[in-house]
Amino acid sequence: MKIEIQDYCIRCGLCEDLYPQLFTLNIDDDKIDLAYDDDIPTDLEQAAQDARRDCAIAAIFLK
Amino acid sequence: MKSLTTDIAIMGSGLAGLTAAVKAAEAGAKVAVFEKRPFQGGGVSNTPMMTLVVRDEQEYKDKAFKVHMEYTNYSADAAMVRSWIDNSSHIPEFINRLGIDFLHVLKFDLDTLGRLPGYGGGFPNGMHIGDYYLLKPQGKGHGAAVICKRMADTVTKLGGDVRFSCPVTGLVREGDKVTGLVATEKDGDELHVNAKAVIIASGGFSDNPQMIKKYTGFTYTNNNCDDGGDVLFNTLPGARLTGDGQQAVWAIGGAQGSMGINGHNLVPGPGIIGNTPWVMKNQMRIIQEQPYLWVNQRGERFIDEDISNNHMAMGTCIASQPGRCAYIIVDEATVRRMEQVGLDHIYFIFPAEKLSDVRGQFEYLINVVGNKHAFMADTLEELCAQTGISLEGLEKTLKAYNDYCDAGYDAQFAKNPAFLRPVREPKFYALRCFCGGYQALGGIRVNGNCEVVDADYEPIKGLYAAGDCAAGNIWGDPPTGGIGVSTISFAHGFISARKAVEHAKAL
Ligand SMILES: Cc1cc2nc3c(=O)[nH]c(=O)nc-3n(C[C@H](O)[C@H](O)[C@H](O)COP(=O)(O)OP(=O)(O)OC[C@H]3O[C@@H](n4cnc5c(N)ncnc54)[C@H](O)[C@@H]3O)c2cc1C
Repeated sequence: MKIEIQDYCIRCGLCEDLYPQLFTLNIDDDKIDLAYDDDIPTDLEQAAQDARRDCAIAAIFLK
Repeated sequence: MKSLTTDIAIMGSGLAGLTAAVKAAEAGAKVAVFEKRPFQGGGVSNTPMMTLVVRDEQEYKDKAFKVHMEYTNYSADAAMVRSWIDNSSHIPEFINRLGIDFLHVLKFDLDTLGRLPGYGGGFPNGMHIGDYYLLKPQGKGHGAAVICKRMADTVTKLGGDVRFSCPVTGLVREGDKVTGLVATEKDGDELHVNAKAVIIASGGFSDNPQMIKKYTGFTYTNNNCDDGGDVLFNTLPGARLTGDGQQAVWAIGGAQGSMGINGHNLVPGPGIIGNTPWVMKNQMRIIQEQPYLWVNQRGERFIDEDISNNHMAMGTCIASQPGRCAYIIVDEATVRRMEQVGLDHIYFIFPAEKLSDVRGQFEYLINVVGNKHAFMADTLEELCAQTGISLEGLEKTLKAYNDYCDAGYDAQFAKNPAFLRPVREPKFYALRCFCGGYQALGGIRVNGNCEVVDADYEPIKGLYAAGDCAAGNIWGDPPTGGIGVSTISFAHGFISARKAVEHAKAL
């Protein structure tokens, strides 16, 4: 499973608040950094699903 | 140098700018929106959880107007207040047309307007002047984020141009009118925009420490208040609200409007809130809401603590204390009561009825997180040594205050006897609170038509402003516990679009 963040993400950092193991708000570059650019470890797949559900703007896609 | 021609050019894609863009595009105008960040909604789109709407009934609108004017001691710009209130009733239909429902609507009777205590939809105490429309959120966000996205999509669908990472750097004025703006494109190229009308909707200035110092007297601080600063903001990190619109307007002769910071009592953040201010890591925000003993650095009480859940009043009081900070102090007996019996003020945003393991929460904050504003001590001497509160002052205060608690009457400030809880039994717990603002607001002076005016209050043709950047005078001059709120941003969006389109069509 891979995480993709859409351009319309609002950089609010809610994903980092709730799932810091997957996301970091990068204030300097005005973007969200992913802990895993490629496949995420299977034990984090549930967290990724939850993050997709909790995102304030539905900008987290899973592939 | 590139150029672009449009009817209406808009600076900023927050609630105000995008509302204006949708309305102007629907009225048939060619619209271009310029946003400095790489996405719609900017610094605070994911914050409003509700919007206030004054019912479209004359007696409700009249009452709301009168309550508001009285609240500002008649220092508010009455024409702006009237036009905001008169336009607010169009907000629900506007939001519904974007395909968005409300979570809940709280309606209030005429009699209750201006009379309900407590935190009212972001408004100051007693300022319930309308109905609350709770915005339907996506996921764990707040609803305005989705509204901004839908509005940006709507503008594009209607043939408008929404440009991200494209900050506006200046306005073009020719004689008595504004004819366009200058922006910087993603690749660094300068873009000259010719427009029949320009709407400034670039928000507040909470990320500009120089403007905060110069225009409000506060000192901006980092999130731990360990750099000598004295005001905190609740905006999202990296919001980049640097007052660009205000500076651009002043540079071409627009008058300065009233500017301020809305009050809020806040304990500095580390270990307490996340990036998003409604993600709480513990129950400190709930403790700071309680009506127990509050003292200043001199150890003196300064207010009937019952207002501690009225954020603007409490923030304003705290800002008037030495060092611009204050402390809530509770003892072990009150902690036990908050854990076992319950709380006296229930904060609807963080609605706990009881607390759990308060000592553990303080220990974690102090020892693991290193928050410098949470304290716990076995003696008053130790508490004063940690906090810097005057021991002599605190002992004197406690002698009187504990007597009031025993007698059931607060001879100093007449606090509700139900909230008189003595401070006697170790351990003693304290939180240092500063004045916090949601955002710094105002700076552009507009009239009731959202037209930007010059030093003689004469409108500058073709130039309008909307939302937080122009909301200062709605709260008086200087603003009295003023606040930038979504209802003003929406209403200003409607008004500025209507006037800008009329102006463009007449050219
Ligand atoms: C924590 C918090 C909670 C809140 N809760 C509520 C609530 O419950 N109810 C309520 O009604 N209100 C609430 N508010 C207030 C509300 O969020 C604001 O009043 C409103 O969103 C302001 O909208 P705006 O469009 O005027 O400004 P903003 O949303 O700040 O938009 C300004 C836009 O202009 C852009 N910009 C700035 N400079 C430039 C430039 N040079 N070029 C191009 N673009 C630029 C910014 O990036 C931003 O996108 C809250 C605010 C906060 C911080």
